Parts: sequence; C-alpha cells; structure tokens
Amino acid sequence: MQRMLVLSLLTVTTLTVLSSCTKDPLGNMTNEESRIYITNRDSTANFNSYKTYSIADSVLIVDNGRVAGRETTSWDVQMINAIQNAMNARGFVRVNHTQTPDLGINVSRIFNTSTNLVNLSDYWNSYGGYYDPYYWGYGGYGYYYPPVYGYYQSTEAAFSVDILDLKNASSAQTIKVIWNGLIRGEGIFSTNNVQSQVQALFDQSPYIKTNQ
Amino acid sequence: MKNKLFFLPVVFLFSALVVKAQKGETKLNVSYSAALPTGNFKNLVSENSFRGFSVNILHGVSDNISVGLATGFQDFYQKYPRQLYKLSDGSDLSAVLTYSIQTMPVLAKLKYDFTPNARIQPYAAIGAGANFIAYNRLFGEFGNKQAKIGFAARPEAGLQIPFGKGGAGFSVGASYNIMPFKQDDLKNLNNIGLYAGFNIPMRK
Repeated sequence: MQRMLVLSLLTVTTLTVLSSCTKDPLGNMTNEESRIYITNRDSTANFNSYKTYSIADSVLIVDNGRVAGRETTSWDVQMINAIQNAMNARGFVRVNHTQTPDLGINVSRIFNTSTNLVNLSDYWNSYGGYYDPYYWGYGGYGYYYPPVYGYYQSTEAAFSVDILDLKNASSAQTIKVIWNGLIRGEGIFSTNNVQSQVQALFDQSPYIKTNQ
Repeated sequence: MKNKLFFLPVVFLFSALVVKAQKGETKLNVSYSAALPTGNFKNLVSENSFRGFSVNILHGVSDNISVGLATGFQDFYQKYPRQLYKLSDGSDLSAVLTYSIQTMPVLAKLKYDFTPNARIQPYAAIGAGANFIAYNRLFGEFGNKQAKIGFAARPEAGLQIPFGKGGAGFSVGASYNIMPFKQDDLKNLNNIGLYAGFNIPMRK
C-alpha cells in the first residue's frame, strides 16, 4: 500500500513538473513581437497615376462594428502626421480635402471585445457605413473594397489606414479602396510606437510612390 | 589478450547475475524525454525539445516479452524573427512566426528483453496507436490553436539496469517517433526520442 502511494505521488509529481514545462508562446513574446502588420492592395491600381492626397482630420473610432465617433487625441495627431510624412517621402503632395485630391486617406481605431475569429472582410463590408462619402465630395457614392482578406483572431484593438481612389470616383461611380494597412497586437496605441508602425506599413508597400 | 580483457566486463554485465523473471510482472516506467525533430518537421521546427516525459505500463507475458500501454508528452516550440509573408489572399503580412506543438501519443506496446536476467538488459520495443496533437501557429500573438488526433508508431531500443530485489531499475532508450500530420506546411511530426527514467514494479 505504501509502495503504491509512493508510486502514485512520484508519477503525479513527475507529470505535473514536466507538463508545466510547456513553453508558452505568448509568455515568451515581447510587445513588439506580438504585433502584426497586414497590407493589401488593389493590384490594378497604379500609384504613379496619383499625385495629391488628403488625410481625414480626425481618427474614426469603430467599436464592435459600429462607429463610436471621431477623435483627435495626441496619439491620433501623431499618427496622421506620421502618415503624412510617409506619403510626402513617396512623392505625394498633401492638399485640403476640398481641393479635389487624387487620394483620400482614412484612419481608424477599431475595437472588438469578441474573442472569436473575425473575418477582416467584415470590416470592409461595412465600410460604406463608416465614412461619409460626402466628406470626400462624392456624396451618394458607395465604397468598393477588395473581395479578399483572411480570418484573424480578434484582440482588443486594431489600427487601420485606408487609401481611397478619389481621382476615378466620378467615372467609376464608387470610391475604391486601393490600399489598406492594418496593425494589431500589444502596445499599438503607445505614442512611442507611432513612427515605427507607420514606417513598417510603408516599408512593406514599396509600390506606394509617385514620380509625377 | 588485451581484447579478451576488454570483453570481460561485458560478459560479466550480461551474465545471469541478477535473477528476476519478467513473466507475470507488471512494471511502470516513468521517464524524462527529449526529442529531436527530423525531416520535414525539422525544416519548420528545428529546435530540439527538452520538455517531455513518457509513461509505460507493461505486463510480462513471458520472461522476454511484455505488452502494455505507453503514453507521453512532448512540447515543441520554434520562434522565427519578424519576416514578411505573402498570404494566399494576396496580403502582405509582417510578423514573428511561432510554432507551438504538443504531442501526446497513446500506444499499444510490445517489448522484447534480450537478456531478462542480466545486470544490464538490452531491449527492443514497438508501439503503435493514436497521437493527440495540440497545434498552434501564431503570427505575432494571433494564432488558432487546434486539437487533432493522428497515428503514431514508435520503434524503440534501450537498456535497463535493475537495482534492488523487487525488479526496480533505471532505463535509458531511444526511439523514432513516426507521427503523420498534415497542417500548413507540415507533413509529419517525426522525431527521435531520447529517454531516461525508472522502472517500478507494480505487482506480481
């Protein structure tokens, strides 16, 4: 009986100790490593055919698929400035949104409390409801978004940048989203990470440039 | 003459000095295990795993042959630095890629002891059965943990060194773990296992 007890204790102890040695992926990850940068483009769009752009003057807050307002916190301002610097460095010229820009840039902070898988196309499929096309001077037009994008496990937040084709909106009768950059992970709303995050999106999108 | 002297200890060790018949005896073996990925598995997860254990319960049906169940656990982990990946939908994804894979085989096992009464007892064994797999491939912190059941087979060889009178002893061994598994770019989780542990007599 004593032997059985010792054996049982030995087995349980061994199993417990070794099981606890499982290397936890999230526990062995820094905030920087946790972040992902996803970019997608309309492969038919030629960025060299555009010259001017305008950025929305505030950041849209999207909470569980609903617009929760617009904000201009210091982080939002930093982010808009960082995007402006990146676009200028690629040869584009910022103009006011009333000056008929070739491109429009929308910036969003997206919050989800769900822990389920989220199809990113859910975001784009609701796109028309997020931004008022009147802002860009194309009231009544709908948005067109690429019919792709995979599934990702949702977390607490994401940051999204969209580049819209306003130059051809009239002829196409739609506002086409020709590029999207999405950032997810830990610490994405830290002011310390603004510059590096925008840089990462543009670094992996070398085709965003114009020589006009 | 020198050659004869060299073989003397070997003859001594394998001679019938410790008489302990296997027939009718049930033994528990608890071992620490390490695993070395091979082949296709190694292409994606090259880090050796030092986080594992195995447990066997075998009953001697003769002095040489014992049969029973074997199970165990092995944790595989690999993290790649940030890279740009082209996804099937055309997206570009910059991420740190991490594989976290746990295997838990449950096998029917047959073991053959070549010299069941010797001081050092070499053995060979074969096991086959189910493999319970927890698989997680993460891009950054985003993954999709999956549980799957597959097949596993395990040819194995090793040595047992009895101590005491009850049939208890040390054991060391190596195995080749055959684990088919098709997921993402993986075709299998084949690996070489190394074991060291204790044999504990349960009852006779």
